Amino acid sequence: MRPVSTRPPFRGLIIIPAHNEAANLPAVIADLRRHRPDLEILVVDDGSVDGTEAVLERLKVRWLRWVERRGVGAAIRAGLRYAMRSGFTAAVRVDADGQHDARDIDRLLAPIASGTAEVVLGTRYGMTSDARSGASGAAQRMLAAFITLVTRNSVTDPTCGFCALGSRAIRLLAEHHPDGYPEPELHLFLSRNAIALTEVPVRSRVRLSGKTSLTPLRVVAASARVLLALLIVPVRPAVESLHD
Amino acid sequence: MTDRVQIAALTASVMLLLLVLELVRRRRLAEEYSALWIFWALALMGVSLRRDLLDTAARWLGVYYPPAVLLLVVIVIVFTASLSFSVILSRHQRQIDRLIEETTVMSAELRELRSAERN
Repeated sequence: MRPVSTRPPFRGLIIIPAHNEAANLPAVIADLRRHRPDLEILVVDDGSVDGTEAVLERLKVRWLRWVERRGVGAAIRAGLRYAMRSGFTAAVRVDADGQHDARDIDRLLAPIASGTAEVVLGTRYGMTSDARSGASGAAQRMLAAFITLVTRNSVTDPTCGFCALGSRAIRLLAEHHPDGYPEPELHLFLSRNAIALTEVPVRSRVRLSGKTSLTPLRVVAASARVLLALLIVPVRPAVESLHD
Repeated sequence: MTDRVQIAALTASVMLLLLVLELVRRRRLAEEYSALWIFWALALMGVSLRRDLLDTAARWLGVYYPPAVLLLVVIVIVFTASLSFSVILSRHQRQIDRLIEETTVMSAELRELRSAERN
């Protein structure tokens, strides 16, 4: 499965952005270690105030942290910067709330290990029929349709955070991963910069404990930002300096 | 406009120019951000000296009261200034973001190096 070219040997890092997920992290990390003991784990503690720091020390994982909350985009940028500097050739983003299933990591990493894609995005609606219902389901489908139209990639789940990145994408996104509610904007950015990406189906689960950070006000702000990104990102100049 | 208004406007624009230059001299205002202010101070000075410019502009715009054009100019100044602040702020925000990320990664590297040394 692994390429025999001149590329450096495969080294994968799991990046877990976490804000106040001390209750969920032990189970999430145990699950990851059970399924992929070969991958290193990095938790980026985004200003948690629930004792995450102590949990990280106990779990013996690599970690980064800052005191004020800066958002998931910043956490991923820092994680990717760490991955780049420590010589990792692939990175997987896994959420700290337990919604992402460690069993899907094999499928996410396969196109990167074989060199067929630089970015692999999980879709929760790839295997089963589209289960999204209600107003938010309709909004998500509309967003998926818009992004498919703009990027000319088939996108079914533009808000799933579960994804895997190759070394070129790691370098690019360590500097340019979007902020805010970044998943839809990430699609647009990758397409604008001609990064080969593919979707693979992943399982969807409910978060283990605690509650989502999305409040109605945040959803409105995020939607406004996504709308702006839909207009702006496709006409932005592509990012230069992608030398290997 | 009376001559008194002209003198007041001229005094104000000269004082603005001197204030900006003094701030640059004391390094309270960076050269790159002073350019906009120097430009507008000179523009205001020009309008105060040549008040017929204001009258011509008013006629061209169809404004009946020429001093209203001066007000318009001031509004444009305030607008461009605050837009340029937003641009500068965005750049600084980005630089601070990258700096935090870099130092965070560096402190993790240092921590890992030290713990590897101990073992």
